[in-house]
Amino acid sequence: MAMALDEKFFEKFGVEYAPKEIIFCEWEPGNEFYFIQSGNVRIVKLIQNREKNLSVLTDGDVFGEMAILEEQPRSATAIALDHVKLLKFHRDNFDTLMSGNPALAYKLLVIFSKRIYDAKRRLMILLLEEPQLKIMDVLVMLAEQDPHLDLQQEITLQVTSQDVARWAGLTEGDAQKELTHLSRTDKIELFGDKIVVKKIREFQRLVASRRKSMYQ
Amino acid sequence: MSNGAGSGPSGVITRTYKAGSIIYFENDKSEYIYILKSGKVVLTSVKLDSGEEVKEEVREGEFFGVKSALGKYPREETAQTLTNTLVLVLTPADFERLVLRNANVVRKMLRVFSNQLRRIVKMERSVLGEGEIVNPDAELFKIGEYYYKVGDTKHAQYAYKRYMEYYADGEKADMAMKRIRAIDAGEPAPDDIGGPDEGPPSAQPQARPVDRGDDFSLDDQGGPSDMIDFDDSSDDRDSRQVASSTALEDEMDDFLSDDTSGGLDDFSLDDAVSGNTPKDLSGAADASFSRGNYTTALDLYQKIISMNRTSSAEDKKLFEKAHFDAGRCYMEMAKPKEALDMFSRILRSFPDSPYMKLAIYHLGLLFESVNQKDKAITYFNKVLNMTPKDKLNSEALTKIKQLQGK
Repeated sequence: MAMALDEKFFEKFGVEYAPKEIIFCEWEPGNEFYFIQSGNVRIVKLIQNREKNLSVLTDGDVFGEMAILEEQPRSATAIALDHVKLLKFHRDNFDTLMSGNPALAYKLLVIFSKRIYDAKRRLMILLLEEPQLKIMDVLVMLAEQDPHLDLQQEITLQVTSQDVARWAGLTEGDAQKELTHLSRTDKIELFGDKIVVKKIREFQRLVASRRKSMYQ
Repeated sequence: MSNGAGSGPSGVITRTYKAGSIIYFENDKSEYIYILKSGKVVLTSVKLDSGEEVKEEVREGEFFGVKSALGKYPREETAQTLTNTLVLVLTPADFERLVLRNANVVRKMLRVFSNQLRRIVKMERSVLGEGEIVNPDAELFKIGEYYYKVGDTKHAQYAYKRYMEYYADGEKADMAMKRIRAIDAGEPAPDDIGGPDEGPPSAQPQARPVDRGDDFSLDDQGGPSDMIDFDDSSDDRDSRQVASSTALEDEMDDFLSDDTSGGLDDFSLDDAVSGNTPKDLSGAADASFSRGNYTTALDLYQKIISMNRTSSAEDKKLFEKAHFDAGRCYMEMAKPKEALDMFSRILRSFPDSPYMKLAIYHLGLLFESVNQKDKAITYFNKVLNMTPKDKLNSEALTKIKQLQGK
């Protein structure tokens, strides 16, 4: 939706950020959510005293939307990557804004649908007991997220072992141990910035059957 | 699977299922969104944490299959019919068209979705053990420390300044101030900065409620299924003032109402209000009014007025009511002149109308709202002296006292 409402909206809600400028910072109270009109925004989080990239968002994306729900500190930091134009909406205007702009509301509805699924999917990983399975399921999740991958074949995932550790809710040490094990048994190949999985279907089956038996 | 399908003029498909049919299976990929028109549908899903099977019954008028269709991911539940059932089948495009015409439906769904999201994120945090912290002020300060330490003084400055903005009397305020000055002075970060432990943990001042995981239970998740449900659903359809408590179910009932003259197959997105009698229009108008859609409501009340039907007692009453409610719409839309015109018409044309007293009272409100105190008092006085005495009389008296007190 290359929103028709942009023009008149920008006057009222538009804000601009220079490259590297912080839009909001982790733990700061959050009352606004943002819609990216143009530019790229990096979402980062301090994890174990290191800055981790969570994602890069671009035109048409929404962020800070948890602020719609409640006054809650930001869970991550948003930094402008380049020159960024945003629409900034305060929680208090939310109802008015949504009544007047069902198109924007619909967009948020779609975003929330996706986020709910993604959050559930992550939770499913965390609820597995063995670290080994958690790692496998992270790889399965990442594979599922990329519609271009042929899961019957060997696949390449652009992730680091730190990323995997974070998704799995494991320390980097523990995650590394499991990844090394999978690599030794020739299930995966480890590179600095990517992981090659030989048979992702096998992981998928293993995790599914384990998940089933977990409850019995 | 489907025993019959029909397509209405707008292309919206209705489908009938026999009892025991599966509308979709868990893990199916499908873009369709359903509205239960009649019959019984049960959604069966498996709880994430316990593996327990959860069954939820869809109520008539409710949507199901929304999240997975919009989010483009596999179904998270199985939908099965218990009785002979009739559903409307929408594509995301149909759905979009439908909801865009009713901002309130989107808004409410949004609220439901965001609550679900919040619950899941909370669970996630608690599983990760991230719930145990937290003084946001101390954490915010730490962010500043981190960036200062890695030499990103701009970002550090941002965090420290925010700290001072929000937590000026916080425990780290002095320190934050010191850091801000140091950065301004171009000083590099001190060596002892941002260590894993910087002093005793701050006592919990006005910190936000801490997620200890005990303020929600896994049961609270409401099941992972894809059904729209409202915590605040209200059966009282007459509480028109409390628009926010109208359940979606009610809205959809209004939307898809059987009271309308058309059969189901005539249901069309462009013709959600298909009735043509003052009664149909009035029902739809009231529903819109209660949802806060004053423009739509006004249109419908105007339609009733323009029909000018007063032959039956019922139609006459609706005709007069339409004037009164159109006036209220104008008031809500901050158009006092138009509102004045509507209420005055009642006074002039329907001296015996049951809406007479209400109209006079609203004239009082109207003048009050534009700060014409004396006129407001005049109208409230009229109400005060009208018989039979009822609640409105005492409300008028309260108003008069208030206005005179000012």
